[in-house]
Amino acid sequence: VTVELLLVLLIAGLAAVDATPFAQTLASQPLVTATVLGAVFGDWRTALEVGVVLQILSASTLPIGARTPEDYAGGGVIGVTIALLLAQGPPYAMVRDSAAMLGVLAGLVAATLGVPLVKWQRRRNEALGRWAEAELRAGHEGALAAAHRAGIVFAFAVGVSYAAACIALGTLALGPVVEHQSLRLSRAWGIAHPLWIGLGLAQLLHAFVQRRLARALLFGGVLLASWLLLMVGGP
Amino acid sequence: LNERRLRERDLWAMALRALALQATWNYERQQGVGWAWAFSPALRRLHPDHATRCRRLAEETAYFNTQPTLASLALGAAAALEERQVAAGTPDDGLLARVKAAMGASLAALGDRLFWFTLRPVAACAGVLFALAAGAMGAVVMLMAYNGLHLGLRLNGVSWGYRRGPAVMDAAVRGRFERLTRGLAIAGAGLVGVLVAWLLAPGGVPAPLVFQAALGAGLALGLMTATRARPSPTEWALGLGALCVFAAGFR
Repeated sequence: VTVELLLVLLIAGLAAVDATPFAQTLASQPLVTATVLGAVFGDWRTALEVGVVLQILSASTLPIGARTPEDYAGGGVIGVTIALLLAQGPPYAMVRDSAAMLGVLAGLVAATLGVPLVKWQRRRNEALGRWAEAELRAGHEGALAAAHRAGIVFAFAVGVSYAAACIALGTLALGPVVEHQSLRLSRAWGIAHPLWIGLGLAQLLHAFVQRRLARALLFGGVLLASWLLLMVGGP
Repeated sequence: LNERRLRERDLWAMALRALALQATWNYERQQGVGWAWAFSPALRRLHPDHATRCRRLAEETAYFNTQPTLASLALGAAAALEERQVAAGTPDDGLLARVKAAMGASLAALGDRLFWFTLRPVAACAGVLFALAAGAMGAVVMLMAYNGLHLGLRLNGVSWGYRRGPAVMDAAVRGRFERLTRGLAIAGAGLVGVLVAWLLAPGGVPAPLVFQAALGAGLALGLMTATRARPSPTEWALGLGALCVFAAGFR
């Protein structure tokens, strides 16, 4: 478990770096981190169930202009890890479903609470920017490289610390809930899972269609054709 | 004079440094410090004098913001302009600042729609579809779908911008980006159709009726709330989750 948790923290740090400071390749997105975490814990099923829901909701959250979107890089790692840790109990479907339900909820809360943290980080970077300019005016050309190193290391450290705190707190607080409320939570998962996916997909569909009738018809046509194809070709 | 012309390796150094454009993103200068860091290989070549270079770098840390993928185009175009000014011996720092500001705004308008509103959701839909059908392949598909264009443009954009100069975003190129955005949005609408069909009947086996009904309810709620900025989809999801846990206790 120690090696697994160390890997989780490494993944959380790397996700925090990919999210904004470096490259933005989408490696920080919940689907990617869930796949890696599923391999680390040997439980792809739970990891992907949680990762898919968080990914769909994350894709409908956009970093436009100066708006600070929810921190799904952190939320994805935290939610999936909590679900994987909670699912390590008795091997019943009910326990796995409860773990997934609490994992998604924990991921959503962590993504929302991560916003003030991201804002704080950005305010700290203001001082870094002022320092770099002053150093350059004093003739120290290396200040830019130092500022960039500091920015990336800072983001990594914040990502690791936030994930460690949330995972520790979440697992301690939610472990007993899974033990005592697994029936109730697995029922809730049966409804919440499709509701969440539908909610997120509708946001994406709205962004693609943009009130154009032809695109709405295309969506309807493809849905119908795919469904017929699946039903006719299925077992 | 040839010593003071940019070389291919300078442009590559700029492109690689542009990956860290947002390493020090902040509310005051936004990408300003990252821009200066990415621009420094060009200034190193064009201004051998240390004091002049440091002064120019300090000026470049001023406010700048655009969509990060397309920032590479602006970097290349600005480098070409700087090179021309140095060659002509008519340095005008104000001109570069004005060109930067204009390019930043127009690239942000195009890039936000292409990358954030369209390509990222399309890649996510493709990834989710493959994750549902083929497990771990979903993440690979999502990364490939996004980074083919994102990293391709980010790494080659500096050379492209340098070759075309400040006219890099002319009407023809803008039109090409617009068409690409439109095509991706159409593909995205179709992809969501396939995804919903798969969720209704994964592998040809119909999902339980409760699942289908809840999926439909989620879609309807999502379409009704999509036009409003608040509550955000995350806040809606949290509320729905809490409601489901509460309701499950009464069953």
